[in-house]
Amino acid sequence: MTLTPKLHTTGRRQTMALSLFLLVQTVGMVFYVGDVISDFRDNPESVHFIFEATVTTALVLGILFGTFALRRTIDLLQAQEQALDVARGALGAVIDRQFQDWALTPAERDVAFLALKGLDVAEIADLRGAAQGTVRAQLTRIYSKAGVSGRAQFAAFFVEDLLGEGVPGPEVPKTAAH
Amino acid sequence: MAPPRTKSHVTLWDPIVRITHWGVAGVVLTNALITKGGSVAHVSLGWGLMALLLLRTVWGVLGPTEARFSAFPPNPIAALRHLRDLVAGRVREYPSHNPAGALMVYAFWVALGLVVATGLVMTGGETPMQVAADKATVETGDWSALIKDSEGETSDQEDSGLRETAEEVHDVAANLLLFLAALHIAGVLIESRALRRNLVAPMLLGERRK
Ligand code: HEM
Repeated sequence: MTLTPKLHTTGRRQTMALSLFLLVQTVGMVFYVGDVISDFRDNPESVHFIFEATVTTALVLGILFGTFALRRTIDLLQAQEQALDVARGALGAVIDRQFQDWALTPAERDVAFLALKGLDVAEIADLRGAAQGTVRAQLTRIYSKAGVSGRAQFAAFFVEDLLGEGVPGPEVPKTAAH
Repeated sequence: MAPPRTKSHVTLWDPIVRITHWGVAGVVLTNALITKGGSVAHVSLGWGLMALLLLRTVWGVLGPTEARFSAFPPNPIAALRHLRDLVAGRVREYPSHNPAGALMVYAFWVALGLVVATGLVMTGGETPMQVAADKATVETGDWSALIKDSEGETSDQEDSGLRETAEEVHDVAANLLLFLAALHIAGVLIESRALRRNLVAPMLLGERRK
């Protein structure tokens, strides 16, 4: 299994919010249409009916646009995720293997990956929706499991791989250097 | 090298599928077990159900590939084949619902459509707001709200006949829904065991990594 950090958390939240909004609109639309139909049965020439029918048409169009927008956002997110997957494929596999060797928990793996990408504590905490203290504690545990003194050495651990042997395949994961 | 992730199955359903799923499940259970038939709450939830179904229908045409109707066409023969494979211990992943699950989904949608349609007939197509207003009028002692739709004797009789039929269909379809739900949950559990993965997780928040 490749490493899949929760970089898409923000995207997920966005699409979830869009979807909820779409649902609210649809509920409103259904109630409105019901009302319009009964108004139509009462008096199709009233200003009230004409006004409501116009509003309802606008709502329906809004929902259709919203659906298209949501669909496009989801497609875009998926394409981005795929591109990321491919880009980090080679090095990612090495890193993933190493994280497993260190017996990092899934949460620690996410944090470690984000730290490797150069995000600071505040950014990681933000992305994961966690407290900064939690992230700091996780980083401490990660460094101790990896046997490094801090972030610089942690990053250097993998850079060394790249410099020393070119991009190594996952067949030769580096497990020494403790 | 890490293989590029070609997903053989859905790891997380999109938000519309998830929201409509749990919304529909919530409405069905609440209206079957808690609210009183004909009450404002019951009718309101029914209208909410109509909105959920409508949204899911639009999504079945415009949504992402795995949510589209074309990804899980109703195919009884494929469904039977899938069940036979399951019994024989041969399981495989599908990009959307499996053929047996797909059939179950369409059965749900037909039953849900019936419940909504018959509910509308029973209430004369009144919106929940009107139902509430009628109830308030009756409460003041003015029973005329109950008969305000009648136009003539014959149409009245036809009307009540239609409503009685609707009521029967409504009850049968509602019970059918509960039966289908039990079958559905059993199916999800069995399939989860056979595939050795949690099928419910993608319907909630996504699969947990190991
Ligand atoms: C009355 C209650 C329920 C109804 C009416 C219902 C209905 C449905 C429908 C219509 C779908 C298709 C989703 C879509 O494509 O939009 C579905 C899928 C699904 N439902 Fe339910 N459901 C109910 C309860 C539950 C419960 C309690 C669970 C959890 C155990 C559950 C788990 C699932 C799962 C996992 C799927 C996706 C199956 C797959 O992977 O193909 N459902 N359900």
